[in-house]
Amino acid sequence: MNALEIVNVSLPGRLHAVDLRLKQGTLVGLIGPNGSGKSTLLQVAAGLLPTGEGSLSWQGRDFKGIGFAERGRMTAWVPQEARFEFGFSVRSVIGQGRYAHGDDGRGIEAVLERLDLQDLALRPVNQLSGGERQRVLIARALATEAPLQLWDEPLAALDVRHALEVLMLANELKDAGSTLLLSLHDLRLAHCLDSVAVMHAGRLRAFGPPAEVLTPELLREVFGVRARTAPGLLLELS
Amino acid sequence: MRPPWVKGAALPAALGLLVLVAVASLGAGEMHLGPARIWDGLTGHDTLAAVILWQIRLPRVAVAILVGAALGASGLVMQAYFRNSLASPGLLGVSSGGAAGAVVTIGAGWASGSILVMPTAAIAGAFLATGAVVVLARRGASTERLLLAGVALNAMLGGVTSYVLSNFTISYERNTQVVFWLLGGLEDRSWEHVAIASAVIPCAVLLWPLGRPMDLLSLGAPEAQSLGVDVRRLRLWLIVLSTVMTALATAVAGTVGFVGLVVPHVLRLLVGPEHRRLVPLSLIGGAVFVLSCDLLGRAAGGLRLGVVTALVGGPYFLWLLRRQA
Repeated sequence: MNALEIVNVSLPGRLHAVDLRLKQGTLVGLIGPNGSGKSTLLQVAAGLLPTGEGSLSWQGRDFKGIGFAERGRMTAWVPQEARFEFGFSVRSVIGQGRYAHGDDGRGIEAVLERLDLQDLALRPVNQLSGGERQRVLIARALATEAPLQLWDEPLAALDVRHALEVLMLANELKDAGSTLLLSLHDLRLAHCLDSVAVMHAGRLRAFGPPAEVLTPELLREVFGVRARTAPGLLLELS
Repeated sequence: MRPPWVKGAALPAALGLLVLVAVASLGAGEMHLGPARIWDGLTGHDTLAAVILWQIRLPRVAVAILVGAALGASGLVMQAYFRNSLASPGLLGVSSGGAAGAVVTIGAGWASGSILVMPTAAIAGAFLATGAVVVLARRGASTERLLLAGVALNAMLGGVTSYVLSNFTISYERNTQVVFWLLGGLEDRSWEHVAIASAVIPCAVLLWPLGRPMDLLSLGAPEAQSLGVDVRRLRLWLIVLSTVMTALATAVAGTVGFVGLVVPHVLRLLVGPEHRRLVPLSLIGGAVFVLSCDLLGRAAGGLRLGVVTALVGGPYFLWLLRRQA
């Protein structure tokens, strides 16, 4: 059964007849140049945008038949960036991940620890740095315990250590049976993923294992760059 | 960091303050009444005090409490809705919309038909303004955008009011009525006004359970939706309740500015941003603020309520703007 199924979704000027099916328990990267439709596709997957003529289903169930609270339990979406007007504490923003679970407050401590946020737990979110905000958003998504995690550029504002930790976390979630779709800009991280989906000008240009998809031809066509393998710096968590 | 006991103490403290200011307000006037005489008057043991209280002061205090509660809560709701702590019924033109609606019915002479005509027109006028702001804010509710939309709406709706003033000067009495709206005040309020304003109570009851989803909405609509909030429904409720409450306040007291801006903001500084706490506190805090301003205006020799709230709230708003920049 597919954890996520997007069939023939078009949004005028943004997406053209996109089909995407993700198997349960996979870690999938969404790549593509700026403006190619990655964020839009993630929002469609999260049920936040209309699907037009197409359809969206989670775990084989049509999205339209799922109530709001249950949607909140089935998927989690991490926006590319967030503006926090009000000074909620880090802990209370993460607690919002439990809203659809009747605000039971479960698992918040564990999530705080997992994302290295214990020391910031009482800090107002409108006083955080960009990277700290991003970790709070990921933590909130984690707190939902949703089996489908949709993260929009979760690594963009993170330092190298936190970025590697988030990737490792994504892998752990996958091993535990979750399905993850995350948009990325750093193609060098693609080897950590099960598959990549390549967006180009609002279309899904390619989908499959990174080694098969990311050919020099495709990189030239989609990104306009030449790929060359060279010895370089390799960073791993110590 | 604010000490933790502040959060727990806030609600009882606000209620105590409300009782205190209400008693002071009942006692103040040409004939001063102490707490003991107020008690005797309310229970009918002191005939003179009873007349003063039941005919004049009680309706005034009741209207002040309802108007303050309505404006305080409306401001809180608008700030969460637009994700902007500078949003409020006055600045966004919603109060002006209510006033313009009410003034048109006075000018046209319909207001004398039924006591329901004017509040209904105020609600219609307020919805016109809210509708315009909601449409304008669809592309992002930045502070500049909201304030500029408010400036334009306030000017346009003020134009409507001025038009009625200058072209429908049918009688002196009617013109005085219109001036009342422009200044905002609580003079000569009767039980009829209390009856109109009491429609604020069901609005407050409906608003009560929306505090928690307002937390999520105030940090972003798509985020709230992804976390399980029915955002469209929540937004509709919030905009309807805040508009109706603002319009009711305007219908019985004219345009009283800055209550919806100052009250939620001060409360947020005191107890934090959680709306489950802020909803009841804004209702009570708004009532305390309006009662105090009314008392202050009377002590200062008859300054009208709208003048006092502007003199208190205006500088606070400018200070806020400066801090935000």
